[in-house]
Amino acid sequence: MMRAMQKASTMLIFDRKLHAQRRARAAAGFEAHDFLLRRVVEEFADRLMAVNRNFPLALDLGSHVGALTHAELPTGKIGTVVATDLSPAMVARGKGLRLAADEEHLPFHDGSFDLIASALSLHWTNDLPGALIQIRRALVPDGLFLGAIFGGDTLTELRQSLTEAEIELEGGLSPRVSPFVELRDMGSLLQRAGFALPVVDADRIRVRYANALKLMAELRGMGETNALIERRRTPLRRGTLIRAAEIYQQKFGLPDGRVQATFEIIFMTGWSPHESQQKPLKPGSAKMRLAEALRSNAKPQRD
Amino acid sequence: MADTRAPEVDPKLLEILVCPVTKTTLRYDRERQELISDKARLAFPIRDGIPIMLADEARPLDDE
Repeated sequence: MMRAMQKASTMLIFDRKLHAQRRARAAAGFEAHDFLLRRVVEEFADRLMAVNRNFPLALDLGSHVGALTHAELPTGKIGTVVATDLSPAMVARGKGLRLAADEEHLPFHDGSFDLIASALSLHWTNDLPGALIQIRRALVPDGLFLGAIFGGDTLTELRQSLTEAEIELEGGLSPRVSPFVELRDMGSLLQRAGFALPVVDADRIRVRYANALKLMAELRGMGETNALIERRRTPLRRGTLIRAAEIYQQKFGLPDGRVQATFEIIFMTGWSPHESQQKPLKPGSAKMRLAEALRSNAKPQRD
Repeated sequence: MADTRAPEVDPKLLEILVCPVTKTTLRYDRERQELISDKARLAFPIRDGIPIMLADEARPLDDE
């Protein structure tokens, strides 16, 4: 019992309830801060264009106010979209088939969807492998998963500035920016979750802001502010905040006086397994000896 | 007095939904606008036709 409790406490990184509140607060004005989401959905659209397939029923998982339903998706490829969000306030602002759902506890029958897309929500799950397994199970065989989450380099400038300011003024530091998944871990995570043909890549986006405080306001507008369980309960002191903004300006200021912020977006593609998919042959199943194959290849070159 | 103006939940959703806690089938209570998980002893509310499938927001069923 003790051990089980300890285990649970080490695994919980994010306060999901607090994150739901952050999303709810961001819901009303979300469109003013959705540029990264739009970029992700454009990328999803490109990837769908490249797939010669139709998806009669799609799930938009953690859709905010409806990422897929608002987007210009390849016509005719997607039939019906079901949208979810952790925050009922976000889904209430969407349209079409909707429900509130937690990415960590999906409420769907196995094999429900032909496509599941999730844009910039899964990085807030405590159990990402568990969420990926549930996603794979909710797909029909040979169903497609398209995911995008923030990666390890996201907000690196803000993280460094806050750390420096806190050490300087408060003699210690507390995590103020979420830990993110590293790109190199994602491929094996998808594989472990049972996805076939997994592909992972990253896109780095640099955004300019008037100053660090404007960046923080944007993060609030996205519903992306700190929801770490181990975060310090007291809000950031005003003095520390101002100092962090100064450090940010010094270290990451641009010639025009503005500052730069990095967002790293990790894209994931995976298919739920199916007989028809290409896979490596079983060891020992070769029909020709390697030596023979090499010899027969070598022959034509001499002619 | 029956308030029938609240939008009904789409039957297509009812087909694919299960209890998020136990992954078992749900019962649709049209009167109360709830989706009931007998196994988890929870009733998930439907607000304006939108099912709220969050355990935190569900009503615990009292054992009669």
